[in-house]
Amino acid sequence: MQQINKNFFQLFGIAEIFEVDQESLAEKYRGLQVEVHPDQFANAPESEKLRAVQLSSYLNEAYGTLKAPLKRAAYLLSLHDLNVEQVDQAELGMELLVEQIQLREFLEELPEDESALAELESLKSEVFRKLEQRQQSFSSNLEISDLIAAKKNFNEMQFLSKLLKEIESGEEKRMGY
Amino acid sequence: MALLKISEPGGRPAAPAHSLAVGIDLGTTNSLVACSCGGSVQILPDHAKHELLPSVVHYREGQAPLVGEQAKAAALVDPGNTIASVKRLLGMSAAEISSMDRVGRYRLDATRDAGAPAILTAAGPKDPVQVSADILGVLVERAEGCLRGKLEGAVVTVPAYFNDAQRQQTRDAARLAGLNVLRLLNEPTAAAVAYGLDSQDQGNVVVFDLGGGTFDVSLLSMQKGVFEVLATGGDTALGGDDFDHVLADWIASRAELDKPLDALSHGALMHYANEVKHSLSSDETVALSYADWSAQLDRQQFADLCKDLITRTLNTCRRVLRDAALTLDAIDNIVLVGGVTRMPIIREAVADFFGKPPLTNIDPDKVVAIGAGIQADVLIGNKSADNFLLLDVNPLSLGIETMGELTEKIIPRNTTVPVTRAQEFTTFKDSQTAMTLHVVQGERELVSDCRSLARFELRGIPPMVAGAAKVRVTFQVDADGLLSVMAEELSTSKTAQIQVKPSYGLNAGSIEQMLKASHEHAESDMELRTLKEAQLEAAQLIDAITTASEVDGKLLEEHDSQRIAAGIARLEEAVAEENSGRIHELTEQLNRISSDFAARRMDLHIGKALRGESIDDAEHPAESSESP
Repeated sequence: MQQINKNFFQLFGIAEIFEVDQESLAEKYRGLQVEVHPDQFANAPESEKLRAVQLSSYLNEAYGTLKAPLKRAAYLLSLHDLNVEQVDQAELGMELLVEQIQLREFLEELPEDESALAELESLKSEVFRKLEQRQQSFSSNLEISDLIAAKKNFNEMQFLSKLLKEIESGEEKRMGY
Repeated sequence: MALLKISEPGGRPAAPAHSLAVGIDLGTTNSLVACSCGGSVQILPDHAKHELLPSVVHYREGQAPLVGEQAKAAALVDPGNTIASVKRLLGMSAAEISSMDRVGRYRLDATRDAGAPAILTAAGPKDPVQVSADILGVLVERAEGCLRGKLEGAVVTVPAYFNDAQRQQTRDAARLAGLNVLRLLNEPTAAAVAYGLDSQDQGNVVVFDLGGGTFDVSLLSMQKGVFEVLATGGDTALGGDDFDHVLADWIASRAELDKPLDALSHGALMHYANEVKHSLSSDETVALSYADWSAQLDRQQFADLCKDLITRTLNTCRRVLRDAALTLDAIDNIVLVGGVTRMPIIREAVADFFGKPPLTNIDPDKVVAIGAGIQADVLIGNKSADNFLLLDVNPLSLGIETMGELTEKIIPRNTTVPVTRAQEFTTFKDSQTAMTLHVVQGERELVSDCRSLARFELRGIPPMVAGAAKVRVTFQVDADGLLSVMAEELSTSKTAQIQVKPSYGLNAGSIEQMLKASHEHAESDMELRTLKEAQLEAAQLIDAITTASEVDGKLLEEHDSQRIAAGIARLEEAVAEENSGRIHELTEQLNRISSDFAARRMDLHIGKALRGESIDDAEHPAESSESP
């Protein structure tokens, strides 16, 4: 079970940084999964099947984490012994809070029908752009080991991702599905 | 120069033994069995060359059951002893079966547990697992006859939306029929395999599966033989029958039939509507005549009548795309499954929505069995497994009940299986020594809106203050989509483990209702959650103050204790009124009123602790006198 002692980056044999080439990650994931998936042990003894379930689960967990930017960022922070669950108001900074409140107020004040769709679309791309900026800052702050700044970027990413989800569900509601 | 190869004297080397394995599509209406022979997959027919076996079983006293066409014929003369569409009964409780069986066709065995119902027949009580096993038995016999040998394994398909109970029962039925189940395979995944291996395609595939009574959509990514399900979604109360209903209602209103129709004329009308629907698949226009009414109906009119149904199927496609985080232009192919997808109005709507025509070269009734046949051939070891792998997801979120009847999701839906996730929970009360773990499946926030899968108890937790114990609950879903749950108290490593064997599953309608409701009620769920949390907070505070007053009541002045009692009474009133804002406000107020008491209590305890008495001893003077 040596594989399970490796961290997710080591498991895929890639550098412990935020920038991850998704195509090559997916390819490595499929290659590894072909080796360890329980289906390859359909006629094997129970103990081997169980081991395959554990290994394959671990691989799924690793892939699921490295695939999603927010989860990947949280995982990187946890590798640096930072507790991502814990958020201190002071760490967030006034600027972020004000920005969040403004974006949220804007979202809430939009009309409840289809007329808001164009506004939602442009808000979505604005938030998406901000999210990308924060991801870039996270990446470079982590690179220079400024963990405090990186954690702040992570919290910002969390806010923005949540906001994106809300915008999307707002779009769906207005489109009637 | 290459060396010439010369084989050993005595002829050609023996061909490797070919193991017999089949794929089985255990359908609601029809079942099929397929086998890979000589490089291609074939549906195995019966003696009369029929490939589809109607999923109907007729039970007789002292004789073997009739399965298939003969049973279907018997249904007309002896409906009470004939069970059709048993797939819909899998995982259901007695109450769910009774509510579905509106005409009261089946008599249930009253001596059985309500969670494991059985239908009384001339051949004795039969539960859905036994009935399914009887259908599978006929398919096994058919396969062994065709292939002239004993089956060594089978892949059995299940709807992607089947929950844990329905999967367990399907597997139990296959085992009862004497099958070695290599894998339970999701039907849409099987369909993608049937197409994927033919065309060697790379890219993203949407499987659009519209059956008689249910609708499933799955989105898969295919890369070099690896089929990865990215998202799956469905509408378990939408199927071909609904199109018949729409047409029947339209005819009834146009022909000005008397409302309500009696059972017999309703049956005749539904039969006619079904015929018209089929005619519209081959003809642009159909001349209608019913009783003394006649009219013309063309495909466009039919499409307009069915607009709402079609929109529902497309909305499900939209949700699945969103769950997979893909846009329409990322979809390379669309695969159609189920006889209903032969309808041109469906094909056109799908082509319009995705901007490309769906693949239709494999018979939509057979495509699932063919895919299962391919997978069976690989799993039994006949075909190289290099670069062939199916990665499925769990269709419904799995979670655990926490305080306040709330669901804590541990494995969200659309997570690739196998998956193992652990979460830590703690005790709610001081000195709590046991915990009931309630495992649920569904998307809603409240436990009562989800399907209960199992309950088990973890006992022997060492008595500690509330919140100090740590219990780790581990969920594991295997490649078949089956769940097992384990719980462990971390300070003592006491384990309680169970393989979740639910007593009954969700019925098809309730899955859809739950999913729909989770979209519709997201908001009211949140409100309810806020209320439950506020109520819980209030209860905890009242409990703490009451306990403290019992122990250290002497620290309170008379008027303080009156103020606290009044605060508790007001808060209890608000809790009963279910006003979360008010509960919150009064909880804070009670906190303020009692803060002085709490401070004095802390001082007393710190003082005692500094003098060498533990807080525990201070609280239980009777016990402390016994300690050395």
